[in-house]
Amino acid sequence: MILLDRVSKKYDKDTKPALDRISLHVEPNEFVIIVGTSGAGKSTLLKLLTREEKPTTGKIVVGGIDYDTLKDKHIPLLRRKIGVVFQDFKLLPQRTVFENIAFALEIAGMSNREIRNTVPKVIELVGLQGKEKQFPHQLSGGEQQRVAIARAVVRQPKILIADEPTGNLDPKHSWDIVRLLEKINRYGTTVLLTTHNVEIVNRLKRRVITIDHGKITHDQARGSYRQ
Amino acid sequence: MSRNKDTARALIQQKRRRRQWLTFLRVCRYGLSNFRRNAWLTVAATLVMTITLLIIFATFVAQQALRDTASTIGKELDRSIYLKSGTTEAQAKPVMVALQRLSNVERVSFISTDDGKNNFARDNKNDDARLRALTEASNRLPATIRIYLYDTSDTSELVEFVNTNTTLKKLISTQPGQTPTFMGERGLPTDVIASWTQTAQKIGVAATALFVAVSFLIIFNTIRMAIFNRRDEIEMMKLIGANKEFIRGPFLIEAIVYGVIAAVIATGIGLVTLLLMSERLQAWGVTIQPTIQFLTGYLWLVVLVMMMIGSVIGVVSSLLATRRYLKI
Ligand SMILES: Nc1ncnc2c1ncn2[C@@H]1O[C@H](COP(=O)(O)OP(=O)(O)OP(=O)(O)O)[C@@H](O)[C@H]1O
Ligand SMILES: [Mg+2]
Repeated sequence: MILLDRVSKKYDKDTKPALDRISLHVEPNEFVIIVGTSGAGKSTLLKLLTREEKPTTGKIVVGGIDYDTLKDKHIPLLRRKIGVVFQDFKLLPQRTVFENIAFALEIAGMSNREIRNTVPKVIELVGLQGKEKQFPHQLSGGEQQRVAIARAVVRQPKILIADEPTGNLDPKHSWDIVRLLEKINRYGTTVLLTTHNVEIVNRLKRRVITIDHGKITHDQARGSYRQ
Repeated sequence: MSRNKDTARALIQQKRRRRQWLTFLRVCRYGLSNFRRNAWLTVAATLVMTITLLIIFATFVAQQALRDTASTIGKELDRSIYLKSGTTEAQAKPVMVALQRLSNVERVSFISTDDGKNNFARDNKNDDARLRALTEASNRLPATIRIYLYDTSDTSELVEFVNTNTTLKKLISTQPGQTPTFMGERGLPTDVIASWTQTAQKIGVAATALFVAVSFLIIFNTIRMAIFNRRDEIEMMKLIGANKEFIRGPFLIEAIVYGVIAAVIATGIGLVTLLLMSERLQAWGVTIQPTIQFLTGYLWLVVLVMMMIGSVIGVVSSLLATRRYLKI
């Protein structure tokens, strides 16, 4: 599903690379946790997958798409196949829960009828029934992140990328969000999650990749957090 | 087999068109709601746009009114060449034929000394002093050739003719005050009116250019601010796969809305002001009625043209702003 071959990323010519010849293979339907100290290069890795950043060297293939041959004008199409969730939710403040989720379908040109059919199912999946008409500021952080996750999965992407989705949440809400990600993973979506939360990593018992100074130092099938 | 393929292709085409239409509607909706979100900037942008459109409107009105006024005065005007007292029509005939041949001359008529005397007596029958002057001066009253021109502002041909025609030289009156000046009865040469029209046009064009430029700048900046205010949102849209049109579209719609609203306001203000001023303008001798008739008769067209001008200003400045500041 995801293949990285000796990928390096240098933001500036004279600084150390943010990623240094990373090779990585993720199978379909895997749940992968990426850990590492601040500035290790986790976000950079995820940004390469969403084509927010281009690698300095190396090869990236995601879902059969070779990024070397990907034209700029096709990047939106690529991104519609990858769901993304951010630490700060990034919801549209003037839009209701329903509209925020529908937005992901609107930009894909889906018909209003399809939208009316699809969105309620996802709202149910993330457990926000009854909150469709509320605005983001009327929701707790955990609920806002659920909206963001709903928006990310409403197009049924094969891959879901979550960069510190629990970074702004208390432990209880964090765990709820992680459980939701596990549920989405069970329905057949590959999940990539970065986190600094030791408890989450240890409780999940999933594949853990540790990055340090732009290099993969550990890659364990049922890993735990290591300092 | 191939027919199946064709219908399949037609279906795909139809689907794509429907998707584009949907996207267009959605872009409009987002643009409209952004317009409301931006309240203060919106008001400022709409205001300058309104002023700009008003200036364009005023320029148009002034130009029309001056042209109509000039042509009204021009029609009332005739130009006279005064001949020696007692010159007969037969004597003047060769000159009149030659005059008629000039390209700008519509028609020529002859007024003999006697006719002139009668006309003068009729026009001034209540004015004893003038009538007395007439009897005293009757031996000096000229015969007159009246010339009606197509283009009343162009007298160069006529001047040339008077200066060069030898038959006329023998007939022309040498009395003081009877040399040809080609002035109107109001004493206002049409050249003067023409030059006013030109000056008004120049001022109008300059003011229009200035305010169109100001509008461009203000709307450019408004859109730039809007882009800046919404950069997180735009970032998110890009990351979840919105394409260029979807991100840029609402900003264009927003700018078009400025233009459309400003057009309605400007036309309204402009027309009402014009109607309120029309009587005073007419009292000043400005021919304003045809312009008012045109504006009210084709009101929708006028509003539409104003909307188009406003939208074009909006779209161009918004396009430049999004191209410059929207990194997509
Ligand atoms: N846009 C950028 N321009 C220049 N340098 C950058 C940029 N983004 C990241 N970096 C640098 O690249 C390195 C890796 O950053 P990255 O954001 O990937 O770290 P991270 O592992 O996500 O950290 P955190 O856990 O704090 O989110 C850091 O040294 C950072 O300063
Ligand atoms: Mg990060």
